[in-house]
Formats: sequence, C-alpha cells, structure tokens
Amino acid sequence: MKKFLAIALALCVVFSLTACGGNAPAPSKSPVASSGNPTPAAPREAELTIMMSFPQYMDQWETYCRQFEEKMLKEENIKVKVNLEMPSSDQYESILQARLTGDDAPDLYTLHANNIGTYYKAGNLTDLSNEPLADKIYVDVKKTVTAEGKLVAVPLESMAWGVLYNKDIFDECGLQPPKTLSDLEAICEALKAKGYTPFMLAFQEQWVPQLMTALTLGGKVSGELTDWVDRMYADQGSYEEVRDIFGPIDLIMKNGTDRAMEQGSEAGAADFANGKAAMFVQGTWAAKTIMDTNPNMKLGVLALPVNENENCTRVNLATSTTLAVHPDSKEMDLALKFANYVLDDEDSSELFQSCGFNPLATCHDYESASWVADASDYVARGRAYQDLVLPSSVTDEQGKLLQEYYIGTVTKEEIIRRLDEAFRNANKISK
Amino acid sequence: MNLLIYATPALIVYIIFKLYPAFSGVFYALTDWNGINKTYEIVGIANFLEVFKDKYFWQSVLFTMKYVAAMIVVCNVMALTLAIAIESRRKTKGFFRTLFYMPNMISMVIGGYMWMFIFTKVLYYMADNWGLKFLDQSWIGNPKYSFIAIIIVSAWGSVGYLMIIYMAAIQGVPGSLIETAELYGANSWQKFWNVTLPLISHSLTICIFWTLNSAFQVFDVIYTLTGGGPGRATQSVAINIYEEAFKGNIRYGYATSKSLVLLVIVIIITMIQLKLMKEREQEL
Repeated sequence: MKKFLAIALALCVVFSLTACGGNAPAPSKSPVASSGNPTPAAPREAELTIMMSFPQYMDQWETYCRQFEEKMLKEENIKVKVNLEMPSSDQYESILQARLTGDDAPDLYTLHANNIGTYYKAGNLTDLSNEPLADKIYVDVKKTVTAEGKLVAVPLESMAWGVLYNKDIFDECGLQPPKTLSDLEAICEALKAKGYTPFMLAFQEQWVPQLMTALTLGGKVSGELTDWVDRMYADQGSYEEVRDIFGPIDLIMKNGTDRAMEQGSEAGAADFANGKAAMFVQGTWAAKTIMDTNPNMKLGVLALPVNENENCTRVNLATSTTLAVHPDSKEMDLALKFANYVLDDEDSSELFQSCGFNPLATCHDYESASWVADASDYVARGRAYQDLVLPSSVTDEQGKLLQEYYIGTVTKEEIIRRLDEAFRNANKISK
Repeated sequence: MNLLIYATPALIVYIIFKLYPAFSGVFYALTDWNGINKTYEIVGIANFLEVFKDKYFWQSVLFTMKYVAAMIVVCNVMALTLAIAIESRRKTKGFFRTLFYMPNMISMVIGGYMWMFIFTKVLYYMADNWGLKFLDQSWIGNPKYSFIAIIIVSAWGSVGYLMIIYMAAIQGVPGSLIETAELYGANSWQKFWNVTLPLISHSLTICIFWTLNSAFQVFDVIYTLTGGGPGRATQSVAINIYEEAFKGNIRYGYATSKSLVLLVIVIIITMIQLKLMKEREQEL
C-alpha cells in the first residue's frame, strides 16, 4: 500500500511538472538572433510539447526527440527543448480532450486515424499538404490521413493485409501471386495437381469467413465502383452490383480444406503453418501464431483478385496512430519541422524499424518481415484499398451468411437480398 | 416486523440488483436507447410491434422450444435412470453420485470449450484412426448434428443436479410400501411404475420446472459451441437478444422488449406446466 502511495505521489509530481512545462510561455526570440547577425550568435531558445499515446515506445521517441534537438541546434541554431509526454494509452484520449478544450493544446499530438474527420472539423489539425513530408507518404496511406482533400496528419502506425500464403509451396510449384481471378484458378489447379490443398478454411468463428467479403468488396469497390458505399448509405445501391465477389468466394470454398465449420481461427493458423494448405484468407495479425507454430515458415501476403480487372486486386490498408500539429502552436515553424523530421530521409527508417512500425513512405527502406514487406509492396505500388466503413450489423450479417453459404442453406440471390435488407435496416435505425 | 429487519440486507441487495433492473427494463423497452448515448427517445410500443414482425426472433423462439422439449425428455429420463441405478447400489453410491454430479460444478462456458475440443478434434481422430466412421459428421457445421451436440453438452452439465433431487425423493419412498408390493409379487418394473414413480411425482414437478426454466434461457453452451451458427441455425432466444443488444446495431431498448416478450412466453408455459403437474401429484 505504501509503495502504491509513493508511486502515485511520484506520478502526480511528474504530471504537475510536465503540465507546468506545457504552460510556460514560449520564450521570445533572443535579441541577437532576431537582429539577423550572421556571425555565430547565441542560439535562440524554444520549447516544443509533444503528446503521444504509446508509452511502450518511450525510449525510441525520447532518443528521436534528442536527435531532433541536436539537429535543430546544428542546422537552425535553435536550442529546442522537447517535452515528450506519454500518458498511459487508456487515459490518453481524455487527457488530450481536456487539454484541447482547455486552451492548453500540445504542439504536436497523436490521434487515431478514425478520428481525423472529427478533429479536423473541430479545428484541431493543421494542413500539412505543402510540407516536404507530403510527397514521401505512399499514395494509398495518404488517403487514410486526409480530410477534405488536405493532408492533416503524419501516419505512424499502419497495417496492410490480404491473403496469407506459403512461399515454399508456391516456389515448389513455380507459382506467382495472382493478378486476376483466372490466375487464381490456375494456381488452384496447379496446387491440386501437386497434391496440395489450395485454401485453409476456418469458418467456425464468423469473423473469419467475413474477411473474404471484406477483401473482395474492398477490391471491387475501390477498383470499379468507388461510389458504392455512399449509395448504399443513401438506400440507392445493392449488393447485386458487387456480385463479382462470389467469384473468389466460390473458388476458395470449392478448393478449401474439409471440416471448415469445425476449425477455429487459431487452430486454422496452426494447421496452415504446418503446410496443410497453401493459402489462408487471414490478416497479418495471425503471423505470430503461424511463426510460433513453424518458425521456418516462409510467409507471404498476396492480394485477392475479384475478377479479371487487375485494378480490383488489392490489399486492405488501415492506419491507426497518426501525428498531428495543432494550429495554435506557438512554435509552428518548429512543430512543422518536427513533423517533417518524423519522415526524415536519414533517420526515419531507424525509428520506424525500432518501433516495429510498417514502412509507409518512400524514405523507409529497411528490411521488414517477409509478410510485412509483401503487403507494403502492394501499398507502395498503389494497390491497396482503405477499409470500407460498413454498419457493423451488415458486417456481422456477412459473416453469418457466408457460414450458411458454405453449408449450402442459402443461395447467392438470398445473400444479396438479405444483405440489402440488413443495410437498409441499419440506415433506418441510424436516422 | 422483526423478520423484515433480519431480511433487510438481503432485501436491499435483491432490490438494487434484481428488482430495480427488472422494472427499469420495462421502461427501457419503450425507448430507442442504444446503451451508450446519453439521450434517448420514448418510442412507445413500437419496439414490441417490431418484435412481432422480427422473423429471426421467432426463428430463435422456435429453436429454443425444440431445445426445451428435447432437454426435458433427455435430462429427466437420464437423471431418473441414473438416480435409480445409483440408489440400487450399496457400496459405490457415494462415488457414482460424485462422479455424475461433477459436471454441474464446472461453469458451462468451460464445459462448452472442453466439448468443443471433443467434437472438433477427438471425434475426428477416432473416426480417422479407429474406423468409427459414424463419428465423421459435421458436429458444428451441420445444424442437425450441432443440435445433438448442444443437447449432449447441456445434458452432461445438468443431469447431475436433477439426479440429486431424484435420489433424495427416492430415499423418501417408505420401504414398507416396496416390501408390500414385493409380497404381492410385483416385478421391479411394476414396483417402479406403480409405487416409486407416483410417490416421487413432486420431484418430477420440480425437475421439469427447473429444466424448462433453465432451458429457455440457454446461452453459454450454444455460445461457446456454435455461437448460434452456422448463420442463425442454432440461435437461441437468449443469443438473439444478446446479439441485438451488444452486436450489430446495438439496440438496447429493442433487445429489452424482446426479453420481455420471452418472459411472457416463459411465464405462460410454466403456469400451464405447473397446473398440469400439480393435478397429478400424489400425497402420502
């Protein structure tokens, strides 16, 4: 108990100190620097407050902030003091909100990509479109941090996923990742000819079969029907338009392992790792289970083709944590410099690698795990789609219907009808 | 008055955690609250009207009825058989009683996951390696077999409890009556059917009442075993309500009105059952 009290007290002190640091008015420019004297002048002093939501990477970011301080002193002759605040992630959002509403906003802060729209409307994000960093971010990633056509945050954590595949089996059969649905059909035939089962099926939990609709809808909509989701929300679309998604779904179900309904996602991942099938429609989050089961596995990621249009063959891309600059920052110039420094050509790779983040900009040239590299490669080539935002009841319904479709109790027409119905119901309720 | 004072602590807990939620539930059933929003509107009986049109709900009611019927027969027949069998043993009575009661002490969630392993791994192993081909069924994926699987697991969990009640009742049957029947030359079936069964009919009422009640609320076994799937094929009313409230569109108010409808159904059926059974009970 005593120990706990002591820790709590210590925390209070630390917090009050950092809060003071944030409150302190930014020192005005020193007279020497402002006079524009070219000879070695005393460096201008400045302070920058940065708030971030991942204490687990405290060390990495502390180091990076020190590097930034040195760089500024050397290149700009500014003596910056960076106050890095890392509240625990469960309290992060409430602390941030309190500071934003209390006119005590940090100069830079992290936020989840999902909140970008809301924060931008509230006037808490600075337009970064004209900064050097804007040209470095991959086009598909950039879309995830854009609001009303403006780049408003620096992406930090992003994840791309598609279909997992066993590179050893593909190499043995001399196969390449497919570009179109007929490629995929050919791959299935080739695999079966060599005695391999093409797809691992693990449909016991409804969210796993649901991944097939996520990938196929994402590809189809991003590649051909970009206004489909908006029209669905306006009660003016139908799943009839995206009937293509049944192409790959039928193919996967026809060429999958037995007893799919009796297979859970973890067990499926383990079986896949042991070579029971060549491909598995599952996100890269399953990589840990797979690599634990079989550390020698050569794991790859491929995009699931929807039809014969190569433009629809895409991986899913989602960005979570991003870094934003607050428009009221008193040291706007420095804040922008820091934002750019996060995607610095020389130092950024090391930072991203040490935090285990996936590469998301041209300046990132480090080696990452094989499956991350594969997925990032699709992203770098602009072959990614952003998560479609569907009502969660519709997503649930997709999982349910795919289970039923697998055991043969519903037809395609029925699925289309029931999904349209679920979407209309969700629209009605949210009104 | 004194009695009331002694009961106060328990009563307060009961009122706060049982009565108040139950009655406020009736109020929320009239709103469109989603459980998170601070504001909600009172929509009157619109929720209830929607329940009557909700085909997935009635589908789950039908499934639950089927489940209840199967459970009443399977559990009570098995529990009674076990009770008689164990009562007839002299030495190992305690051992078998403990053995069959054991599953009742495990949470059915854990039991469900244990059986999941049996249905998805062990049975297939037996089918593939020992030639027991009849076990090679889609135990989770085929609604017909997953219904059987669910009944097996539920029965496994509740038979022990019912068995204890039956055993207590059997012990209460006077030995003199049995002996008399023996003297008149009754065989064991006649002794059971004409002497024991009428005398334990009160425990039959309790056990059927208990099975009926708990079977209508079935959730944990189905949730862990099939999750209501494939699709909605094994969805019980409780799971349907749960999904309405916590998944998909997150409609608390509507889910509450569904559970009120379930409550009414259960009350009606239980009343009928009690009335029928009470009439047939024998008093000594």
